[in-house]
Amino acid sequence: MVIMTKVIEAENLSKTFRVKRKEKGMRGSIQAIFHPRTEEIRAVDNVSFDVEEGEILAFIGPNGAGKSTTIKMLTGILYPDGGGIKVLGIDPSKGRRQLAYKIGTVFGQKEQLWTHLTPYDNFRFFGAIYDIPDGEAEARIRELSETFELGEFINTPVRNLSLGQRIRCEIVASLIHRPQILFLDEPTIGLDPVVKENIRSLIKKMNRELHTTIFLTSHDIGDIEKLCKRIIIVNSGQVVLDDSMEHLKYHYLNKKIVELKLQEEALLPSAEGITVLKKKGGRVKMEVDTTVIKINDALRQIDAEHVEDINISNIPLENIIMEIYNTKADRS
Amino acid sequence: MLTAVKNQLRVCALSVKYNMMREMLNKVTFLTNILFMVLNNATFLVQWMILFRLKEDIGGYTMDEIMLLWGLTASSYGLSHILFAKAFSLSDLIINGKLDSYLVMPKNVLLSVITSSTSTSALGDLLYGLIIICFFCFSIQRFFLFLLFTVTGAVIITSFAVLMGSLSFWFIRAEMFGQQMLDSMINFSTYPDGIFKGTVKFMLYLVIPVGMSVYQPIHLMVHFQIGRMLAVLGYTVLLAAAAVFVFYRGLKRYSSSSLMSART
Repeated sequence: MVIMTKVIEAENLSKTFRVKRKEKGMRGSIQAIFHPRTEEIRAVDNVSFDVEEGEILAFIGPNGAGKSTTIKMLTGILYPDGGGIKVLGIDPSKGRRQLAYKIGTVFGQKEQLWTHLTPYDNFRFFGAIYDIPDGEAEARIRELSETFELGEFINTPVRNLSLGQRIRCEIVASLIHRPQILFLDEPTIGLDPVVKENIRSLIKKMNRELHTTIFLTSHDIGDIEKLCKRIIIVNSGQVVLDDSMEHLKYHYLNKKIVELKLQEEALLPSAEGITVLKKKGGRVKMEVDTTVIKINDALRQIDAEHVEDINISNIPLENIIMEIYNTKADRS
Repeated sequence: MLTAVKNQLRVCALSVKYNMMREMLNKVTFLTNILFMVLNNATFLVQWMILFRLKEDIGGYTMDEIMLLWGLTASSYGLSHILFAKAFSLSDLIINGKLDSYLVMPKNVLLSVITSSTSTSALGDLLYGLIIICFFCFSIQRFFLFLLFTVTGAVIITSFAVLMGSLSFWFIRAEMFGQQMLDSMINFSTYPDGIFKGTVKFMLYLVIPVGMSVYQPIHLMVHFQIGRMLAVLGYTVLLAAAAVFVFYRGLKRYSSSSLMSART
């Protein structure tokens, strides 16, 4: 029996920011000098979750949902206002430096590398930061540079690298001390599809070979779908869904998309549970709600003699997630 | 403990080295920046030479002492900007949430932040100070005191910059106030303290720390007194401790940001 260890435990985590408010225009600016108004924004509101060792977890939500604030509290950048966190048994707000030796962070929007130095010099600098002896640092750089295929550009100044190469170097820099958990905040932002795919396979490889727990936030559904086995969705500072990807798909995939290419004279299927989404000439796109009508019953409604082509697919994960965002937003 | 200090110093030294390497990327700009800063500082002495032709004593200072004053101000300002240049833009880092990358490192945040950039022209300031002491006011005792007070002066200026920058943890737009305080510190430190009286003099010792970073060291280089020197050293340690304390208190209020940023 495999005993899973919890590497992250967050309980009733809360964080409030105080934001200045002012009326529009010059009048508002003058008023704000004499009567400043502030408003409290609850960025994270009683968030609780656990992460097991070796998991690849997607922590997603719309902009302003509280994802980055949560990551920043987990890594010791921000102090929580309420609740408790244990990351590898350490409270990040009390043992920030101790924790930093055990975790790695990549913020897609914030570079950590010195741009005038080569990746190699940067890695040596990070080696010094994590107190790694020179010989050992050298060996790790060699090993990681092979895994992440940095050979071609390891001696080129970072400012001359492409975005994809730079992100690979950012990830390597954050792995130099062999962290047990890697926090990736939008690691594929701004990358082209080929480079994205490359980064994803490297993350998978790292998880498989180095058993690193991955805590990922991303707006890219491809990242989530291809990397993660579990998903936590946050909205308005609260956890609105914490489920396995498999269960999410099973639970929410109760609708199928049927695309048909019909001869002109064919009749369109009509039954409860079938909604025609689009019709252009002989091409028809419809949605079948499998909770109302079984898919095989729906197919029977189609005039089979006039079908030239048929394609049945699941609703894209992107739509499911958008639906969850919208449902929860409506409720709140 | 000793290993941790050694490792921290190693990272700071590497940081300063890499900063210097960045500044040296353009050789011509690097050298001209240094040279022109030396010349720029030298031109100010011309006006003092003219004033001393009209009057022998200004605020209790002779021309030699004015040169010492300019030399020490330049060298301590230079040393602080060579090693700790980022302390002078701390407000920007706090307001725009640029401390994140330092907070995820297992090292002292304040030291990592302030050593993360350098100023080329500050090398010119340091060089100017050394030229003054070596060629115009030299004595063995004075030279070593000059070196010591360059270090204490740099620590005082940096600590004051950290204190002023840390105000941004509490107050929006505090950077303007902080910058004005730093500018006045530099301005006051280029005039003899004898011309200031009453409240202004009181401020120069208690509000803007020019008294202990420049004036007392100048008096000590002219007439050495061990008690006064200990006072300067003690003040330096206290101000540095206050800066560290205030920065870490403020850090608990740090709110980061989602702005895109890069280590440049």
